[in-house]
Amino acid sequence: MTDVKVKKESTDVVDIENRIKELCQQFPHGITDQVIQNDMPHVEAQQRAMAINRLLSLGQLDLLRNSNGLLYRLKDTQSASKMKGSDNQEKLVYQIIEDAGDKGIWSRDIRYKSNLPLTEINKILKNLESKKLIKAVKSVAASKKKVYMLYNLQPDRSVTGGAWYSDQDFESEFVEVLNQQCFKFLQSKAEAARDSKQSPMVQRNSSFATSHEVWKYICELGISKVDLSMEDIETILNTLIYDGKVEMTIIAAKEGTVGCVDGQMKLYRGVNPIIQPTGLVKTPCGLCPVFDDCHEGGEISPSTCVYMSEWLDF
Amino acid sequence: MAGKGRGVAAFTFNIEALGITRGSMPETQQGPRALFPQAEFKPVPLKTGEDEDYMLALKQEIRGRMKGLPFNIKPHSAKRNVERYKEKYTRECNQIEDEEWTPDWNRLPVELMPQNKAIRKRSSKFPELEKRGEKSDDEKEEKTQKKEDDNEEEAVEGEEYDEEELEEENDYIESYFEDGDDFAAGSDDNMDEATY
Amino acid sequence: MTAQEVRLCALLLQEHFGEVVEKVGTHLLRSGALNLRALAHETRTSLDLVKKSLCVLVQHGMCTFGPGRRGPAGPLEYRVSCERILYMLRYPRYIYTAKSLYGDTGELVMEEILQRGQMTMSNTVRTVADRLTQNMEDGQSTDYNDVVTAFSRLVETHFLQRCPPVDTATSKKTVSEVPESPASTITQPSQPENYPDCYKLPQIHLTGRGKRRRSDEDGDVGARVAKKAKLEHTEACGDEGIYWQVNVERFHLHFRHQAIISAVASKLDQTSSEIVRTMLRMSEVTTPANAAYTQAVSANEIFRAVPPSYNISRPILDQYLTLLVDDPMEFVGKAGDSGGGMYVVNLHRALANLARATLESVVQERFGSRSARIFRLLLRKRHLEQKQVEDFAMIPAKEAKDMLYTLLSENLVQLQEIPKTPDHAPSRTFYLYTVNQLPTARLLLQNCYKAVGNLIDRRLFETKENKRHLEKSQRIEAILGSLQASGAEPAQLAEVEEMITAPERQQLEALRHHINKLDSSENQVDETIFLLESYIKSTSCSR
Repeated sequence: MTDVKVKKESTDVVDIENRIKELCQQFPHGITDQVIQNDMPHVEAQQRAMAINRLLSLGQLDLLRNSNGLLYRLKDTQSASKMKGSDNQEKLVYQIIEDAGDKGIWSRDIRYKSNLPLTEINKILKNLESKKLIKAVKSVAASKKKVYMLYNLQPDRSVTGGAWYSDQDFESEFVEVLNQQCFKFLQSKAEAARDSKQSPMVQRNSSFATSHEVWKYICELGISKVDLSMEDIETILNTLIYDGKVEMTIIAAKEGTVGCVDGQMKLYRGVNPIIQPTGLVKTPCGLCPVFDDCHEGGEISPSTCVYMSEWLDF
Repeated sequence: MAGKGRGVAAFTFNIEALGITRGSMPETQQGPRALFPQAEFKPVPLKTGEDEDYMLALKQEIRGRMKGLPFNIKPHSAKRNVERYKEKYTRECNQIEDEEWTPDWNRLPVELMPQNKAIRKRSSKFPELEKRGEKSDDEKEEKTQKKEDDNEEEAVEGEEYDEEELEEENDYIESYFEDGDDFAAGSDDNMDEATY
Repeated sequence: MTAQEVRLCALLLQEHFGEVVEKVGTHLLRSGALNLRALAHETRTSLDLVKKSLCVLVQHGMCTFGPGRRGPAGPLEYRVSCERILYMLRYPRYIYTAKSLYGDTGELVMEEILQRGQMTMSNTVRTVADRLTQNMEDGQSTDYNDVVTAFSRLVETHFLQRCPPVDTATSKKTVSEVPESPASTITQPSQPENYPDCYKLPQIHLTGRGKRRRSDEDGDVGARVAKKAKLEHTEACGDEGIYWQVNVERFHLHFRHQAIISAVASKLDQTSSEIVRTMLRMSEVTTPANAAYTQAVSANEIFRAVPPSYNISRPILDQYLTLLVDDPMEFVGKAGDSGGGMYVVNLHRALANLARATLESVVQERFGSRSARIFRLLLRKRHLEQKQVEDFAMIPAKEAKDMLYTLLSENLVQLQEIPKTPDHAPSRTFYLYTVNQLPTARLLLQNCYKAVGNLIDRRLFETKENKRHLEKSQRIEAILGSLQASGAEPAQLAEVEEMITAPERQQLEALRHHINKLDSSENQVDETIFLLESYIKSTSCSR
């Protein structure tokens, strides 16, 4: 009977432990004691404490402190086991890198934080890298800077530059292609609106596209190897605004509407310029690279000007 | 004026702080650059069409006509060795345009009148002008009357003005009405095509 | 006055009035105001020629005179207007506009008065009627009355105005420093519109028709006819002493309105532009020339005034007006709710937008669309760090840096230093890029003046280079002309014609092509000049 009881008790403890781990997986940033309490109201405080203590001692759980009090977070079991046999210095460096999260950390900053000599740190970093516990990522912020982060982490946008960078190189052409495709979409929408011959107000309104619509169009085109977010598309749409080809209006929308963010929706439309190229740029002087050096009688002058000659004979 | 700052030194601040270093300067800064470096872009084609053609014709016509009008003042030493034929021909062509210009001396300072005339006239002219200035509007009739008198007088003066010039300078007529400087000739050709 | 303005004035004066007037005019431009003696002395030109030149300049409204530094007792001083001289570049457009508004007659009236500076109505009517008759079929002629009608309409619409009367009394306008002066000097009021009769037509006694002069008559007869015509032209018509000049300001309003209308047509659509045209027309008389926006008109009034051919129903008109007000260009603004909504055309806003588009166009064509993206970005966001420019414009750092540097060195973009510490250490300083629209517009306007000067210089050069060919061709044409007049055989004519060889003909053809291109460019650069000038002026009077 007691046996049974003990057994039952121990099963309960394992159940509680598993449930806590599940909760931690669900909230990777960590959970408070309150969360566990809410999840298992029937479990006594003593039992809960026992389970947590066991997990902490097994190195499966981390105890963190933030402004709200204590937080429990799941420790990477893999790394936890791999860290076995590492010395304290290595553990310290690992901890620093782990804390840096998906932004990564520069080796010099590891030195400041660990107070270890750089040569030692380099050795440890090499070691950790070879164990596939950490990785070095080139940052777009500075071309010669490498940052370290845990092996299984996806680097933050600020490190990779987001969708526009491949291997820290800015993919200018990709941006221009997207710029053109977005414009084409908006342009055809505006054209269709004009051709509809509906009332001017309806025409104008149907020439608008939400950023979500443009995003969907681009995704369906399948021209991007990487997943683009709506934010990415808005960045591209902004370049079209600076190209003077697109205008944007923000309207209020019901929360929950497709493409609505914070109760607002961004509407874009392709527009025509208000003037044709101005007269000055129809002359060679309007584009002349040596305009300021040009004067009658000089080496560069209207009568000796080769741009002028070429243009006149055209 | 444009482009004072073509070189690095022209900036008042350390441009290297902007990340503009010698190495990253635009190409033009390296070595002696070509007098006319390759231009990256071509001028946009000119507008064409009826409007543009017409304004072009008008421009050339104005240029041609202004040469023949008496407002085109020729220097005294204008004895040029020009082909007689052209001269005679263009003069014949421009005969319609040729006219003398008698400025309305009521609208110009007395001192601009031909010299000896001005001296002779000054005494009489001045009080007259003063008188006119004092006139009020209800004296309009009288004013018009006066104006007409003046006009007669001025027409005479105008003739004298011309004669005087003739005295001063033998080739006056020729130089005055001669088809202006060489360069307009080309556009004169075009001018003939510009019809209404 | 800038060096480029003086240079362009010199070229224009030379082209229209010859080298003497050019010399006198440019010297006056550079010196400000001078008296007759000083002018003759400083230009080393004979007094007689200086006098003539001044007469020409005054006649064309380019020169004013008044008491000088030494007051009314001292010599008169002369002053030229750079602006007025530069307007000569716009003569083709003035004339063409008169043609499109008032037909061939309007065109010739405008042309005659522009070429002569000022004319009496009767003289204009006779000259224009003769010219029109000249171009008609035999037996037809133009009635003076037709020309009187066109002339009157140009006056009614303020395209023509009376030259301000020359007053013996001191003009308060030209000489503010001299409060009291005896009436012994003649001065000119500078503002024609201050004169009440500015647009009052005189009664003229003139009936008849245009006279034809045959070009194939031989010289003597021609001269006699000319003499006769001249005598006729001096007959009194009752408007002696009343001179008319072209009101360029009125034309400029018209051009400004045209520019706004076509901008609306381009950005929105034809119907919208027609509504704006209607609004501009309605407020034309009631809106002062330098007002920032037009007199407000109600939707009801607009509805009644829109041409019926557009067939716009009232609700649709309201929609169009709403869209115009909504448009970010803000061509039209709403000023109130009475009368179905009160609307204005934002004249100065429109000019600023047109000028901005002009600057953008220059950057776009000269440096490419990516530089233009940066330029527009800076126009919108005012101040940006280099990194922000890269991020917003999505242009790689190195490229963006090069583009910014180029724009900076061309003065199209400015840089502001904001030190974080008092020692101005570069490492602790923000560098913000910015575009200042007004100074940039001023800079580009100067570039336009230089460009036109260059075009003229090149044209002079091309003509000089081909002088021999041109003279030869003219000589031959002269021979052909006289041969034709004397009834020569076709074979004879052909023989003379062949004196110009095929390569020569080709070269002349090429020259003609070059000249046309250069001339057309001058006209088209003037459109840029007009927009920039109007914008710059509007900023000084809206403050």
